[in-house]
Amino acid sequence: MTVMSSAVSTAAVSASGVARAFGSVQAVTNATLEVQPGNVTALIGPNGCGKTTLMLMLAGLLRQDAGEIRVAGADPRHDSAAVRASIGWMPDQLGSWDNLTCLQTLTLMGRGYRISKDEARARGAALLETVHLGEFADRPARVLSRGQKQRLSLARALMNDPQVLLLDEPANGLDPRSRIELRTLVRDLAAQGRAVLVSSHVLAELDEMVDDAIFMSKGRTLGDEAAAHVADAKTRYRVATLDDSLLRAALADSRVPYDDEPTGIVIRVGSDQEAAQALAWLMSKGVPVHRFGPAGSALEQTYMAMEEERR
Amino acid sequence: MWLVTGIELRRRRPTVKGWIFYGLVLAVILGLGILVAVSSSDEKTSGPLEMVLVLVLGAGMLIAPSLAATSINGDSAEGVLAPLQMTRLTAGDLAIGKLLASWFIAFAVLVTTTPLLVYAFSRSGWHWDELAIVLGAILLVVLTSTAIGLAWSSLAARAVASVSLAHLTTGFLLLGTLLAFVFVQPLVSETVTDVNRYVDYGAMTPEQQRAYEDAQMTGDFSELDVASLPCMEYSSQYGVAHTDRIAWMILANPVVMIGEVSPIINAETYEKDGRAAPGVFAIMHATVSGWRMGPSEEDLAGRTYDECANLAAMAAGEEPPMMDEGDWEAEQEAMSVYAPAPWVGLGLQIALLLGSVWIVISRLRVPYKKLRQGTRVA
Repeated sequence: MTVMSSAVSTAAVSASGVARAFGSVQAVTNATLEVQPGNVTALIGPNGCGKTTLMLMLAGLLRQDAGEIRVAGADPRHDSAAVRASIGWMPDQLGSWDNLTCLQTLTLMGRGYRISKDEARARGAALLETVHLGEFADRPARVLSRGQKQRLSLARALMNDPQVLLLDEPANGLDPRSRIELRTLVRDLAAQGRAVLVSSHVLAELDEMVDDAIFMSKGRTLGDEAAAHVADAKTRYRVATLDDSLLRAALADSRVPYDDEPTGIVIRVGSDQEAAQALAWLMSKGVPVHRFGPAGSALEQTYMAMEEERR
Repeated sequence: MWLVTGIELRRRRPTVKGWIFYGLVLAVILGLGILVAVSSSDEKTSGPLEMVLVLVLGAGMLIAPSLAATSINGDSAEGVLAPLQMTRLTAGDLAIGKLLASWFIAFAVLVTTTPLLVYAFSRSGWHWDELAIVLGAILLVVLTSTAIGLAWSSLAARAVASVSLAHLTTGFLLLGTLLAFVFVQPLVSETVTDVNRYVDYGAMTPEQQRAYEDAQMTGDFSELDVASLPCMEYSSQYGVAHTDRIAWMILANPVVMIGEVSPIINAETYEKDGRAAPGVFAIMHATVSGWRMGPSEEDLAGRTYDECANLAAMAAGEEPPMMDEGDWEAEQEAMSVYAPAPWVGLGLQIALLLGSVWIVISRLRVPYKKLRQGTRVA
């Protein structure tokens, strides 16, 4: 890292005020984000909000019209080769060389990164095992199913041992088992000190995978407001009882604030300890609780709330 | 760069069907060769060799640009271009690698025809170095067409558009230069007037007519009173094009360029020189040379034929002056050995090649500033 960039931030990826237009269409208006090494950050937003465009700019494939981007300390406008070398990019579009086998694909990609042939081959074979495609190593990529191609694409993104991973909709088309494996793999990659930015629509999936979330809407990243929403959503616990009037009375008596929502009553607890205390307290008040737990995915709640504001 | 070429060639590795098709093509080529060998006489002839060369050129100019013209926008649509751009490969590596991969396939056509080429060459009266130069020129033309295809592929969003544009460009170079040469001729034409005088048969008296006919029959013009015969003057006007001023248009044609680098074969002395009779290329060179020389003084002066004067000469017992047709054979020889001018064509090919490669490299450079209209990055 150069002195200048370390002065700017310790983040592996940082963007501030980034904008990009295609002709008259403003795809990204104002995006600001940071991804720390060892962290998994989610990029969440509705279709067409500019997630992929932002990722392309971070990957050094597309030049931003305005704003600053630093990836591993380098500016993609001036040193896009260094940026690209430090990034593993998994595109949203599935592309593979149909006539080449999976192992050939990875070996050739590795050689594109100037890795020696033997090393690229060994690395490719190991990555195929990592993404559970070992048995397809010598079969042409055209026989792969959508989910398998997705995994090959992930292996391809890892060929250059990148410090930064940009995963664009990696869970698309994966079966439930592969999703769980992907989650574990992404956590492992982050644990190795890599910075991971992942965009997805499967919000419940992201909940368990990410440390941080960035919401995007109409080309803007929603900063603190969204973060506050997520923090709030994480404290929301839904309480289901056999008799809600008892619960309302108990809460009102003790001046505990609660949300009376159509789907049930929601209270806020700060931590797991608080949750345990709250449940014990409710039981002691004789409230017939039959279900007590987080009010669904925090990301999903925030997403829906943001969508609501948009309308 | 070679890595990209390797990837491209591996991706296009033929399937079983592909090999069968290739085998059929090879069989047709060999069959044609044997047919030509059997049907032709034992004399030296450059026909088969020229046929093979034209075949290589034609196949190369059809196949290689078609492949190249889909290889950037096609890859982009398939989503396999951007992952390569993410690696340490530069835009130049990608451009040159893709160019060579398509070109090598045209090269394979040449290799396929080798048996026929060797046989045809043995009978052609050409020398090795001459063949090498012509093959070099053909491969350059194919390489340039390939680069043009690649450039269109990097400019147009759809593969259909880039393939058509690539073939249109090739077509323009082949036919457009010819058409331009033909249509521009009136602009550089000079009006030439032929003045001819004839005896006016209709205005003669019956006696004169009889005497005139007798003289024509017997060939004895001494009895004819030539001075009294009515004479009439016809003049006709037509344009003679200064083709020498626009010959560069035709020299820009890639096929003409190949003709210009082919061996010079003297139309008169080829047998003595150990050559075959002038073939397609030699005739093309002679024709183009004729255009380059332009009209002669006599061509521009117009031709005159004076029957009245001729009759007077014959009546006086002299030989009438011959129509000056020029020395046709000497003219043919001069045209056939006229110094070849491949430089216009070669220069154009090299300029197009470099220009196309420059376009491709600048269009493949990431981060993209501009995208092809209506496309996404991957």
